[in-house]
Amino acid sequence: MALIELKSVTKIYPLGSQEVVAVDDFSLSIEAGEFSVLAGPSGSGKTTLLNLIGCLDQPTRGEIWLDGREVGHAKQKTLFELRLRKIGFIFQAYNLIPVLTAAENAEFTLMLQRVGKKQRRERVLRLFSLLGLDGLEHRKPSDLSGGQQQRVAIARAMASEPAVILADEPTASLDSHASEELLALMQRLNQEQGATFIFSSHDPLVISHAKRVVRLQDGHLESDQ
Amino acid sequence: MLYQLALRNIWRNRRRTLLTLSAMIISSALLILALGIFSGMLRDMLASATEQYYGHLVISAKGYQDDRDMFRHFSMDKSIENVLKQDEITGYSQRLRSFGLLSHQQNSSPGEILGILPSQEQTVTGLQDSLIDGHYLTADDSNGAVLGSGLAQRLNVVPGDQLVFVTQAADGSIGNDLLLVRGIFSTGDIGYDNTLVLVPLAWLQQLLVLPGQIHEIAVKTDQPLNAAALAEQYRVNLPDALEILDWGEMLPQMREVVASYAVSRMIIVTILYLATGLGILNTFFMAVMERTRELGVLMALGMRPGQIRTMIMLETAIMGSLGLLCGAVVGIALSLYMALVGVDLSGTLTPITYAGGTILPRLHAVIEPANILIPSVCLLIVSLLAGFLPANRAAKMQPVVAIRDAI
Repeated sequence: MALIELKSVTKIYPLGSQEVVAVDDFSLSIEAGEFSVLAGPSGSGKTTLLNLIGCLDQPTRGEIWLDGREVGHAKQKTLFELRLRKIGFIFQAYNLIPVLTAAENAEFTLMLQRVGKKQRRERVLRLFSLLGLDGLEHRKPSDLSGGQQQRVAIARAMASEPAVILADEPTASLDSHASEELLALMQRLNQEQGATFIFSSHDPLVISHAKRVVRLQDGHLESDQ
Repeated sequence: MLYQLALRNIWRNRRRTLLTLSAMIISSALLILALGIFSGMLRDMLASATEQYYGHLVISAKGYQDDRDMFRHFSMDKSIENVLKQDEITGYSQRLRSFGLLSHQQNSSPGEILGILPSQEQTVTGLQDSLIDGHYLTADDSNGAVLGSGLAQRLNVVPGDQLVFVTQAADGSIGNDLLLVRGIFSTGDIGYDNTLVLVPLAWLQQLLVLPGQIHEIAVKTDQPLNAAALAEQYRVNLPDALEILDWGEMLPQMREVVASYAVSRMIIVTILYLATGLGILNTFFMAVMERTRELGVLMALGMRPGQIRTMIMLETAIMGSLGLLCGAVVGIALSLYMALVGVDLSGTLTPITYAGGTILPRLHAVIEPANILIPSVCLLIVSLLAGFLPANRAAKMQPVVAIRDAI
């Protein structure tokens, strides 16, 4: 069975007295270890799809299966647990916790999972080494560059070894050099660690690095290559 | 983890935190001080009512305090002595009372003559501390008199002058004798200052032809606010012909003042903390609103609503505890200063007699545990209540809404 399966998913948002169909009768299957991108112009439904896959939102109709479990209509309590254990998020604006150090940020989900201090520090230091963040463990996010912050965000997303890592426009706040570096890094993590990555982006650089490109238009699947 | 996060969140905006803490500290410190001064005023009133005249308890013949009938007298016996040996009793004074006319040269005035044993009376009342001229009665004084300043002025006497006192004696005769003015006191209470005269007990017993007799025993205890319970306890051991009244029965208005104090205190605390609480609520709401996206991210990462709520409540609890501790320290320091030094207002204000007690023209605090505990505990409760609303709001947020711009 696929790691992620969307079956005829529709998401409708109320907008005043009207309704906006963000995703319409959308089906998709993603296998473990994929390095995919949801591509499309603004308003095409990429972010809504990512929210649905990430258990941040629930579909109006249809089913979403994650790791063999239907999550599209699960209870809030279950969604929190799924986000904690199964999903890693990389946000466009990094969204690190400003009062925590780089290492503490990366350890955050492990702390929520009640992983022992020694074990989580070891895991994070290994990731920091892999991500070229050695020596920056005790820095606050405000003392890091954009690229460094995004790498800490990747470490945070990967630390708990989730089933899937979702990245929304991960290069949007980075220059082309940093973007190239970051994508190469995530590609390496995908190949070496077997981590599943799903991006949403309209950046040609991101799209060029993806193994699979799912194009959306007005909430519909346009192409899947 | 939550505690660490909460602690760091508090200091992420130092200026705002310090301003909020200042509001908490100032409000609780001033409240502790205000309640201390309020208690000091009450203590002064109670002391003036009890320690200038009545004492905390009075033993007398049944009905004597209602009509002050000269013939309702008694003498000390073993059972009374046993009651007066109780640990809570710090002093007592045997008294004989008479009402009559005092005169000096062409001046005369009615007065209340209280026959006392000076060494005993000083353990109950503090009139010796209110002397403004001359000296107090001594044990070997046979016909000395210490009188109030208003009476002395009316009779135009100073220490060393002679007074004539005329009254009815117990045998039906008219008793009159000479007194020598030894001292003049001023309590601030015109009731005492205009009428009261202290004389040696033996002198008055002889004048009234009541040898060995007294009208009352004024008693001082170390638990003035518990006097009613002590009276109840001692009553059973006294002879049937005698009664023991506490100051609350002698001065019912004063008892009402003391009883209403607890209510007044809570009203003051409520009003002040309503205002402070709204300020704290505003600050905490601002702090949560600013972090809406961050809280959304925390929830997206798997933090549960309960943990979000706990984290914000911890922030308010830490702030409240800090405010409470610092406020209590500052409040106690200010109260200590006002207790030890105080502010003398006698140059601008005169004493006010109310409900049988005198409000002295001074600001003087007393330190009572309740005056520190009530503001402190209330501050913590107000902080937690002010924190609960934004914490609850944050916990109910949908992560996707909170971070809509982020993902």
